[in-house]
Amino acid sequence: MLAQSWLCKDVVVMLAFDVVGTLRTRRDEDCNLKLWLWVRELKNFWREGLLFVQREEEEEGISPDVLGSSVLRGCAIAPMEDQGELVEKNKSIAPREALLQWSEWQLLDSILPTGGFAHSFGLEAAIQACIISDPEDLKTYIVHVLDNTGSLLLPFVYSATVSPTMANWHKLEKLLDATLTNEVGRKASTSQGSALMRVAAAVFTEIPSLKMMRDASLGSGAVSFHHAPVFGLICGLLGLGSGASQRAYMFITMRDIISAATRLNLVGPLGAAVMQHQIASVAEELSKKWMDRKVDEACQCTPLLDTVQGCHRYLFSRLFCS
Amino acid sequence: VGPSKTDAVWIYTITYGGGLVSGDSVSVELDIGHDCTAVITTQASTKVYKSVEGKCSVQVLEARIGSNALLVIIPDPVTCFSTARYSQKQVFRVASTSSLLLVDWITSGRHQSGEKWDFQLYKSSNQIYLQGEGDQPLFIDSVVLEEGTTAAISERMQGYQVIAMVVLLGLVLIMIKMHCLLECRPKLKQIQDQVQENVRKMMAEQLHHSGVRGHNKANSGHSIGKPLFLASCSTFGPKFEKKTSQGYLKVQCDPVAQKARHKGVGVVVRIAATTTESVYKFLEHQLGGMESLLGVAPYRG
Repeated sequence: MLAQSWLCKDVVVMLAFDVVGTLRTRRDEDCNLKLWLWVRELKNFWREGLLFVQREEEEEGISPDVLGSSVLRGCAIAPMEDQGELVEKNKSIAPREALLQWSEWQLLDSILPTGGFAHSFGLEAAIQACIISDPEDLKTYIVHVLDNTGSLLLPFVYSATVSPTMANWHKLEKLLDATLTNEVGRKASTSQGSALMRVAAAVFTEIPSLKMMRDASLGSGAVSFHHAPVFGLICGLLGLGSGASQRAYMFITMRDIISAATRLNLVGPLGAAVMQHQIASVAEELSKKWMDRKVDEACQCTPLLDTVQGCHRYLFSRLFCS
Repeated sequence: VGPSKTDAVWIYTITYGGGLVSGDSVSVELDIGHDCTAVITTQASTKVYKSVEGKCSVQVLEARIGSNALLVIIPDPVTCFSTARYSQKQVFRVASTSSLLLVDWITSGRHQSGEKWDFQLYKSSNQIYLQGEGDQPLFIDSVVLEEGTTAAISERMQGYQVIAMVVLLGLVLIMIKMHCLLECRPKLKQIQDQVQENVRKMMAEQLHHSGVRGHNKANSGHSIGKPLFLASCSTFGPKFEKKTSQGYLKVQCDPVAQKARHKGVGVVVRIAATTTESVYKFLEHQLGGMESLLGVAPYRG
């Protein structure tokens, strides 16, 4: 969930939030603790009449007592009686949201030791098969990979973020294991996913359920720790919104291919940075196109990539694992 | 179809008018009994005509394969004409010791008329589930090619005119008695191994040459082409949890009762080629070993 508050010149303070999830009146093990605490604080504002909460589809507002078990998504508009008081209250929300920003940046930073640098997303095979020979081909290739990532993997990220429970995560893992039919891609996914889970459990200690889920799943052996569901799960437990987590997944995919391209000498570091910015608008379009879909809609939209990535094992000499 | 001593049933699916028209919907249900062998094939490629009023042509196949049974699906490719919309879904529910050979492929259209990847929509979904204990998904593949805003379908295909997928699945039931391991060889194991080896050899050679030529690009000044035929193999299916140093599977089990485990070894081959003929040749060559099981080798002639 994202909460940002602006102080405008007008007497209206807009607190826009996107809280998607089930809120229960009682805490249970599967409930996101942070989410619960945050909303409880928000409810005080609500009761004091400083906040007006509206469900997206409805015209009228809803009362805090109706809360129970429901999905809230919308815009809260608070009439500013006392700007100063609200500023004080805003400051108490800000640190939590600010801290979330730092966690988000850390999750997306390439120095996070998840081993992403070992995978080229089929780039190395594509170069050796002469499908890519110059930076223009590279740009096209990256766009195709992002398109395919969106169509195949974003639904898994979405589901795991929106419902970050162990039961749902295990279900997604089984399904993705059967869906990633390309052996090379499947192995890359599990190696990155298990590394990411290990790192997240050690780093984000304020979320004990991460370590708990990881330990329980390692023991059972039924879970492969695929990258997309694990990424979505971590984002969901951290409190990132589904829009942010899906965009973030597309971002790290783009980041990793471009990084692989520089190491394969297809483009220089500065050229890579320029290309990354140029592709950003396409990446945003693709994220919007493929986000918020159900997992049974997951599909490949560029089947040639699967064939090419599978050829990685036949390469005579290679730099990357995949 | 073949010699009478081979116990395999060949089924040809035929449509009136030799193709699917916009809005056509075809639904087939198959039930392959225990120990039976059935082959589904076509007389010619499935042509999908142009879409009228945005309607889609749909084909759905649902098959159940019994124990020790083999289902072989070896059609000619689907060819979607300009502006066509086509969707197909094939769901297979397999039992322990079932075998399945599935070929699913598509060409870019009527090359002579210049139609190359000129259709509006092509959707193909292939799903294999293991029956029992809640239908465990073994293989789920969905391909969607839709003419849209981001990249044209022809651009995604990078000059290739045919894409194909071959799935070879052979399940084995491992009987565990005391600490011994009895394994039955599935029907398709030999072909699976052979195909993987052949593809590996072919592609390793091609890529090695491409790599060498690419290296000499600066010197020779020749333009380097992509391989005309690109293929890669992957295995899929459930894995064993434990393997001891001796290679035997040791499982804690009641010495009196027998416990069975499933081992699914599937192989999927993905192909991209510039000509339909090259894929026919590849299929004929790789699947030749099926003759003994089916009476006639697939794609011969």
